[in-house]
Amino acid sequence: MTYQLHRISVLVVEDNQPMLDIVKSLLVTFGVGHVVGAQNGEIGFKRFCEYNNDIVIADWMMKPMDGISFTRMVRNDSKSPNPYVPVVLMTGFSEKRRVLQARDAGVTEFLVKPFNARDLYRRIVQVIERPRQFVRAPDFFGPDRRRKKPKGKYEGPYKRESDIQNPDIIKVLQKQQKDAHDTLERIREKEGLGKGDKFDLGPDSY
Amino acid sequence: MSEDKTKDTPVHFNQERKRKAEFIKPPNTLKAKVGSGGLSDKILEKAQLLLENNAVDFQPLAEMYLGTMIKGIEYAKSPNPKEDKENIISAMLYPAMQLKANGGMFHYQLVTIISDRLVQFLEVIENPDIDAVEIVLAFHTTIRAVILGKITGTGGRHGEELVAALDEACMRYFERYPENKSGAPQDYDTKF
Repeated sequence: MTYQLHRISVLVVEDNQPMLDIVKSLLVTFGVGHVVGAQNGEIGFKRFCEYNNDIVIADWMMKPMDGISFTRMVRNDSKSPNPYVPVVLMTGFSEKRRVLQARDAGVTEFLVKPFNARDLYRRIVQVIERPRQFVRAPDFFGPDRRRKKPKGKYEGPYKRESDIQNPDIIKVLQKQQKDAHDTLERIREKEGLGKGDKFDLGPDSY
Repeated sequence: MSEDKTKDTPVHFNQERKRKAEFIKPPNTLKAKVGSGGLSDKILEKAQLLLENNAVDFQPLAEMYLGTMIKGIEYAKSPNPKEDKENIISAMLYPAMQLKANGGMFHYQLVTIISDRLVQFLEVIENPDIDAVEIVLAFHTTIRAVILGKITGTGGRHGEELVAALDEACMRYFERYPENKSGAPQDYDTKF
């Protein structure tokens, strides 16, 4: 069984006509049912409102509207038919700060040019198989920018009163308290100190 | 006088959350539409062949980007003192990025390799001084020669020599002007 890509529609926004033609041809070869092209972000947004495509692939550098502004419109404009649509940004930039800039605009995936057929395919697989949860914050709306999941359980300090309402957190706090108590006992034993004695808690104390 | 109960409370305890974020898991309609199984190697090979056999003439496109770059170089050579340095660099950086992005797509891998070095150089410098602009001009001349000579592919040994010469020019520049190199490391593996 293979992907039924004929069931989906992809919008390609690219101002370089030969490049637009190539990406469209690649998608048609992959079997995508409906491929729509647009020459810049402004036209791209109109097309997106018209066709409500399943995936958007956009170039970064375009005039009058670039891929970053276009992505922001897709995510935040009230006319946008689907603010959760996966947006793959194509660009020659690969420097970290550029990637972060794109990420902060709400881009889902980054495709560095020049690319081959497999690179494009991998990005499509990524948006199909590993969709990102979205985050709505006062200053951001878009795919969750954190790719890496925290390793293991959170073991840091709990600093809010509301934390203490949670029975799981109470257990953690009790364990932290017990560990601290045991550490103090160990120091006292080692130094021959009584409960009322004060001692220095420097880094080499235990 | 009432006792201030918060006096002994550590400042880091019970602070207001600065940002409230809502997490949304949109329905995966895309997956529901396409199902599973991926694409066969045969389809991917066919797509790759299509890419490799495209007969687009890159020369007019490259000339356009080179023309934009030379305007950026001229602009940098006679800068308006009020103009932001970032803007002056951008006027040369964006056409370089386009050449890097498109060269390899249209069989001119050497243009991509050279332009990549230029992009790295322009991403690192903080001040587009006259010597830096001379280096950009050297890159421009080299890329133009590759385009006019219709040197497709990586250019073999000559291509390597050209790239090495440009690399050396950049290294000599930074040896002379170490203060003009920003601390931003180049990172080609960043994923998000």
